[in-house]
Amino acid sequence: MALLGGVTSRTWDAIVIGAGHNGLVAAAYLAKSGLRVLVLERRARIGGIADTVEIAPGVMAPGIIPTVGRLRPSVVRELDLRAHGLRLIAPDVRVFAPQPDGRAITLWADLDRTVDGLRSLSIRDAAAYMEFERSVRSLGRFLAELNAATPPDIRAARLSDALAGLRLGRSFRGLGRADARAILRVLPMAIADFVAESFETDALRATLATRGIQYTAMGPWSAGTTGVFLNDAAGNDGGAAGPTVYAKGGPGALSAALARAVRAAGGEIRTDAEVIAITTAADRANGVALVSGEEIAARIVVAAHDPKRVLTGLVDPVVLGPGLRWRAANIRTPGTVARINLALSGTPRFAAAGDGPDAAQRLRARIVIAPGIDYLERAFDASKYGRLSEAPYLEATMPSLVDPGLVAGAPAGTQVMSIHLQYAPYALREGSWDDRRDELAEMAVRTLEAYAPGLGSLVTARQVLTPLDLERDHGLSGGHPYHAEPSLDSFFLWRPLLGHARYRLPVDGLYLAGSGAHPGGGITGQPGQNAAREILADWRKRRS
Amino acid sequence: MAERYDAVIIGGGHNGLVSAAYLARAGLRTLVLEQRHVLGGAAVTEEVFPGFHFSVASYVVSLLRPEIIRELDLPRHGLDILPLDGTFTPLPDDYLWRVNDHGRTIRELRRWSLSDAEAYEEYGRLMVEMARFIKPILAMVPPDPTGLDIRQFAPLAGLAAAFRRLPDKQQAIFIQLMTMSAADFLRQWFETEPLIATMAASGIIGTFQGVQSPGTAYVLLHHYMGEIDGAFRAWGIPRGGTGAISNAIGSAAREAGAEIRLEAPVERILVRDGRAVGVVLASGEEISAASVLSSVDVRRTFLGLLEPGTLEPGFEAEVRRFKFRGSSGKVNMAVDRLPDFRCLPGQGEHLRGAISFSRSVDDMERAYDDAKYGRWSRRPYIDMIIPTLVDPSMAPPGKHVISCFVQYAPYHLDPSLGTWDDNREAFGDAVIDRIAEDAPNIREIILHRQVLTPLDMERTIGLTEGNIFQGELSLEQLFFNRPVPGYARFRTPIRDLWLCGSATHPGGGIMGANGRIAAMELLRARAGRKVA
Repeated sequence: MALLGGVTSRTWDAIVIGAGHNGLVAAAYLAKSGLRVLVLERRARIGGIADTVEIAPGVMAPGIIPTVGRLRPSVVRELDLRAHGLRLIAPDVRVFAPQPDGRAITLWADLDRTVDGLRSLSIRDAAAYMEFERSVRSLGRFLAELNAATPPDIRAARLSDALAGLRLGRSFRGLGRADARAILRVLPMAIADFVAESFETDALRATLATRGIQYTAMGPWSAGTTGVFLNDAAGNDGGAAGPTVYAKGGPGALSAALARAVRAAGGEIRTDAEVIAITTAADRANGVALVSGEEIAARIVVAAHDPKRVLTGLVDPVVLGPGLRWRAANIRTPGTVARINLALSGTPRFAAAGDGPDAAQRLRARIVIAPGIDYLERAFDASKYGRLSEAPYLEATMPSLVDPGLVAGAPAGTQVMSIHLQYAPYALREGSWDDRRDELAEMAVRTLEAYAPGLGSLVTARQVLTPLDLERDHGLSGGHPYHAEPSLDSFFLWRPLLGHARYRLPVDGLYLAGSGAHPGGGITGQPGQNAAREILADWRKRRS
Repeated sequence: MAERYDAVIIGGGHNGLVSAAYLARAGLRTLVLEQRHVLGGAAVTEEVFPGFHFSVASYVVSLLRPEIIRELDLPRHGLDILPLDGTFTPLPDDYLWRVNDHGRTIRELRRWSLSDAEAYEEYGRLMVEMARFIKPILAMVPPDPTGLDIRQFAPLAGLAAAFRRLPDKQQAIFIQLMTMSAADFLRQWFETEPLIATMAASGIIGTFQGVQSPGTAYVLLHHYMGEIDGAFRAWGIPRGGTGAISNAIGSAAREAGAEIRLEAPVERILVRDGRAVGVVLASGEEISAASVLSSVDVRRTFLGLLEPGTLEPGFEAEVRRFKFRGSSGKVNMAVDRLPDFRCLPGQGEHLRGAISFSRSVDDMERAYDDAKYGRWSRRPYIDMIIPTLVDPSMAPPGKHVISCFVQYAPYHLDPSLGTWDDNREAFGDAVIDRIAEDAPNIREIILHRQVLTPLDMERTIGLTEGNIFQGELSLEQLFFNRPVPGYARFRTPIRDLWLCGSATHPGGGIMGANGRIAAMELLRARAGRKVA
């Protein structure tokens, strides 16, 4: 095997499997600290879910996740991503939620402006929004600290863990008694209940609630969705509306900047290099084997793809043992998200956006189609029975409006619309996603037509990514963009598995740096950053 | 005010009576005030139709704490619990029948799936271990996590130590039980749809959740915590119905010197200078007491029985936020013959246990989907018991009573449906239709039918929104959040006013733990005060 494939001359300190954003973040931190790092990417391109793809000649669209507002500021700062070409664009508007009755909810970056707008909806809700914003930010700040922390070791409580525990304890008390009690009460709550405690308008409740169910296989009445909601903006300047931030050049530009940071620090990145096994000696990871037959040795291996795939696919079951293999196989990855990218011959007109400068502004937002809590719950219901939602929850963005460069190579007036569609359950009861791809696109366009008449006639090209595509092309188990469901049973101390939440997998020298680790999915870079910190701590111990 | 009591207890349900018994045994001058003409609250037996006796609301028992049975010597006071054997799930052309005889159950499961039969053994062992680990929580006074009193955390620390001693897999399973949905949890072991659906059903009893809703797995444990004569997993019905439990506890309380007054509804809790000093009855009679314990739910206690403006607004807001959302109904039937099941004809043993109408997870979920949008389930989930097969005294010779627990029946109906008074009989018909799918003779054998909607349970028993647990058992309303964050220790913002009902930790079901812990806490507080 080795002879056939040939063994690379040099051995590496660390091999990172997967050049998604978390893999690249971890690799960059390790390389900056002097480790000799090799990143191996199965696909021909880097970026994973943070990618920019050409869907028609000269028309660039986001790969899977369209905005990067959750990216941790410390990652940008410490990896010097601006110097490596990252440019972030934050429009004045965060969310535009057109309603069937022609009205709209608009959440602006400017809080006062948002509240002014809400008055036309409900004086009471407008008044409540300020306090809601405050409490969401307060609880989010605490969660941000939780997210940046490594879950403590529940077995041997070491001093360092005790100290970390104390730090969290302090910030918990820092919340003040009211908010401290609040977070313990609301984290496991259903988002529908949480928003109902503050607001009376169904449309506003639903618009806000979407961030509690996005990328999950849960509905607004599912317990724990409030935790997902609070996490979505944790730390970043999200607040109640959530962040809306674009990367110039699309999400792929973030990955490119990260790749530059890796290379600048001396790391190497290889694409078209699929790992089929993590090799071990004396129960310790000592390298990887590629599909090509090539074997690459390394002192440690860092997996940035999903933990189910790592533990059930790449690790020798004998080394893992039956108990852990059973638990790993039961990690829940119910994908429910499809993405539809459209090339448009012009800018669609949303009736509810009004006219004038504000109308143009509103289309730069995340355009949320969620006219009511029941609407969202019904969309979810279909997925429970393996059906596509008849009336899906959509979140559309038009990145080319804030970043014309994306369509520079296309005919004048061309725009890109990227649509997040939920629920499209990975496990269909009827047919396969390969046969139902068009159905998804038509469903998305038909749903939007009700708010933007004539949208369909503007479509010149389209690209559809089903959960099946996410699994096949991106290696996401169950097509879950978050690697593991962000539910209460996969949180903090027990994400991905209780006893293995500290970025160290059950095999010595094998680490997890992807979204399957605490604090979970989305483009944050936090798992990669946390994992790198732990890896380096072990590294220094072994060296000393 | 003529007499003065050490403790007056509002509500003669099982928890109120347990508190009374423990306080009286400690020498306190104790009075229980029950609004109805019968004792027991939701644990009550009534002769609804001449000769036919029903456990009108609560109908089975498994969680009644053994220490209460022991300490109050309930068997001597007439408590006699008869085991219910097994769970029978009728299906269109087959059935799933699990009994207490393990070997028989495994053989039955092998008909369905060899791997399920194998997993069932391992699963059972695991659940018993988990039940052993969790049991102490049922007797625990929840700490206030935002409080600074370290002593409160002592019991929790002990639990944490015990947790660390558990094997990895059991630790992981415990977390899953606290966070997962019953169906997802069970799918880790089983593939047989009726088995998963029937086991998962126990996770949604009395809650406004579906079997696939996160947070429903925990209740699966209760089936393994039920201890009747120390036998794990056994469920039973008291001879004479669940009212017999209340009467036994009541008799124990009286023997210890407690007074119990029926048809004595409380109008107000008297508060002077921020402390409870007694109660006023609807009759106008004033009764003064050193302590007032309320075993009724928080909405009735704080918003119904207190002079408006007594409570600090923050606390009142929390009380208003507390979720009830009754989701279940009862259909009680007097029949002159036994139901005959298409899939297993005749009057066999399969009728002596629980009969669970839960064919598949999809069926259960669809029943829940109706409720989410304010409709009662068109094809509801039904848990049927025929008590007369184990306790013939409940009906005239040869006749039977059938008790059906039905979900979902949401208290808040979609306005387009009208009120529950408009829907009661249609709901009852839906239950009969569902039963008839599997036991077609049901229509011919019914002599009388009583349909209890959540509205009826609120009216007659006084359960707010008809919630049988005095408040939704959702994660955010458990342990130190039950009933209100910061007030999970049976005390209230009003000095000498205590809670001792299902609205407190550890929640509902005929458990009695709430009433017992509350009494213990009150006694500790009094002792402390004497010392000081």
